Amino acid sequence: MNGNSLIRDIALLVGIGVVLGVGYNAIGLRGGNDWGIAWKGVPLIETLGDEVKPVETDELPPGNMSDDPLAPVTPPRGIPVIEDFGRPVEIGLRAIKQLYDADAALFIDAREDWEYAAGHIPGAINLPYEQAITDPARLEAIDQRDKPIVTYCGGGSCEISISVAWELLGVGKAPVAVYMGGFPEWEKAGYPVDKKADGS
Amino acid sequence: MKGLIDKLAHPGLVRVAGIAIGLVFVVAGLAKIGDTAAFTAQLHNFRLTPIALENLAGMILPWVELVAGTALILGARSRAAAWICAALMFLFTIAIGQAAARGLDFECGCFGKGDASTVGLQKLVENIGLTAVALVATLRRR
Repeated sequence: MNGNSLIRDIALLVGIGVVLGVGYNAIGLRGGNDWGIAWKGVPLIETLGDEVKPVETDELPPGNMSDDPLAPVTPPRGIPVIEDFGRPVEIGLRAIKQLYDADAALFIDAREDWEYAAGHIPGAINLPYEQAITDPARLEAIDQRDKPIVTYCGGGSCEISISVAWELLGVGKAPVAVYMGGFPEWEKAGYPVDKKADGS
Repeated sequence: MKGLIDKLAHPGLVRVAGIAIGLVFVVAGLAKIGDTAAFTAQLHNFRLTPIALENLAGMILPWVELVAGTALILGARSRAAAWICAALMFLFTIAIGQAAARGLDFECGCFGKGDASTVGLQKLVENIGLTAVALVATLRRR
């Protein structure tokens, strides 16, 4: 086998892989199939930062004031509204604090249990990523009480909060926001911290 | 060095290395094909591919792994398949190395969604070992 035939064989095998990959995805995108993905990638999260629209209408009273107990709870005026984009929404510290103060979001800490025990946002549920992918029943059992879910982890380049957010969306929980600043930013800002390990 | 390469180029050893790395690639490819969306999300974590191309890479890469792995196991165009596996292993090792060096903390997705192992030193050593095995498989005599 000379160099040319080696390159030809490599091109052949890669070409077969490309054709199969594109073909399989094309079939997956057709009606009735659910494994296809969009041809062009889009950002995993919708980045809103602190530009989250607050409730501005006076028509709806704060809280669920209707007679229907199943009616969605309307957050109080001025509280950020997390829209359902079908993918996680990144929001910033100011919006997070507003949601926290108004008890208008369910916080999920995606870090390991020992990190959670060392300090977390008060009221947050501990759901490490490994548990999220191995125990979907636990995801489904989360009662978001008509509130948006906010996932967070160790901040900075920590990606598991996004991964957990996608897992939550996968079991029908929505809307789901991601707080990329995470616990370090929250703690640095001097906001309340809970060190009890029984919030999971 | 040449003596070592000659010893590693023993046909039996090359064949065993080819089957071993082929099996790894088939298993990894099938696991990723089983949930392309999840694999694409994990690919995003490495931050090496332009976002617009992530989905394309996510749908093609597992199939290239599967085809190369299958060819190695079957012994069909095995030298080319071994070079593909070695090149991919080299790329994966670089990807994991740079992610670990940047302090990124996420599941590598090396074997699809079910693989919860994170990028780090252990994964880096594993990959270097697999790259070495793939390189042995490329030593098939012409």
